[in-house]
Amino acid sequence: MRDLFRFLWRSRSTLLFIGLMVLSFLWLANGNDHHRAQTFTSSQAAIGTLYGWRDQVVRYTDLDGENEILAAAQAEMMNRMRSSYLNSSAPFVVVNDTLLQQQYKYISTRVLNSTTSKQKNFLTLDKGSKAGLAAGMGVIAANGIVGVVRECSPRFSTVTSVLNSSWNISVLNPRTEHFGLLNWDTADPTTARVKDIPKHARIVVGDTIVTGGDDRVFPKGVPVGVVESVVNDDGAVALDIIVRLSHDMTRIGHVWVVTDLLKLERDTLEAKLDAE
Amino acid sequence: MITVLSNVIRFVVLIALQVLLLDHMDLANGWVVPYLYVLFIMMLPFELPTWSVLLLGFATGATMDFFSSTPGMHAGACTVMAFARTGVLRLLEPRDGYEFGVAPTVQTMGLVWVLTYSALLVPIHHLWLFFTEVFRFDRFPETFGRALLSALLTITLIMLVQLITGRQERKRA
Repeated sequence: MRDLFRFLWRSRSTLLFIGLMVLSFLWLANGNDHHRAQTFTSSQAAIGTLYGWRDQVVRYTDLDGENEILAAAQAEMMNRMRSSYLNSSAPFVVVNDTLLQQQYKYISTRVLNSTTSKQKNFLTLDKGSKAGLAAGMGVIAANGIVGVVRECSPRFSTVTSVLNSSWNISVLNPRTEHFGLLNWDTADPTTARVKDIPKHARIVVGDTIVTGGDDRVFPKGVPVGVVESVVNDDGAVALDIIVRLSHDMTRIGHVWVVTDLLKLERDTLEAKLDAE
Repeated sequence: MITVLSNVIRFVVLIALQVLLLDHMDLANGWVVPYLYVLFIMMLPFELPTWSVLLLGFATGATMDFFSSTPGMHAGACTVMAFARTGVLRLLEPRDGYEFGVAPTVQTMGLVWVLTYSALLVPIHHLWLFFTEVFRFDRFPETFGRALLSALLTITLIMLVQLITGRQERKRA
């Protein structure tokens, strides 16, 4: 017995090494567990604060590009305003529109920190549950989708980026009405792959890909990217499509978080189906 | 006491430099990422026992993991590197052993020694980190190339840091 203890004591470094490696692999294996991340919210708030300071210093360096994107977005919005349309039927002014109910609400936030060089990239936003953000909400920028909210502390949120190999989002080619799954496995921050579009679909280079809207993260029709290459391989069951993402993920400052105001109602209704 | 303090300061400065600057460099579309923070583990004093180097290595990696929201990848890579450090130090030991109470720097050990030391340790950390990040072997040449190029950059940065801080110390003396 004493020999055993002596042996254990002599190889304590190796045993500690093995123990720590097992710990790190367990951590890796539970890496995407939402509940694990929840326990770190206080440290997340401290890290968010630090990244906030960094952003205050760095944000000025990209103001030119930022202004350009915001101006373009504003122009786009102004084009949609009622005042930009000529009323062709002047006597019939709609006073209270009861046919249209607002379904999506947009919350403007700033990106405090973002990565594009990892296999699994994340962003940190400067608003959290106090501003009405919650896990599962979509995040879009002026030119297209950015990601989905992963978790919220009261004043910060983390976002799973489009550039995250473990995240899929339903996309649609509006010209042919074919649905597919967008997944980032190209290891290139400007492109992503679309899977599961059947081989008979006539997708051509230059087609616009938008969000499908059926997974309740984004509204239908938010720009995702433009088809850059289509490969119809004999052995494959679906087309292999590469799209060029419409928003440059390496330059990101202002984003909008999308809230689906009718999500609760729909989820409650569908939960009854699951209960049966 | 001064050794502890200088190590704590080195830790804070290196981690801050890593998460605030180096992680955002996006060199070659993020293909190459220097991880300078490993210098902290390399510059721990010689006489520190292996078990405490291991614990400090794991803690350093875990700190990086919190900052970059990666699950345990840096922690694993740093532990492997801390474990390898003992072997590498034994391999590079001068004939009359290491001096007590000094850290491995250019001043104490010389330029060639530090270069060999980093050339042995940094690739171990980078290869482990990049491969656990990808977590598959089907893009082996690409990941291997990324890790080695990044290691080259890290070693260059380490030598730069050593030369800059070394000159200050000499002035003070």
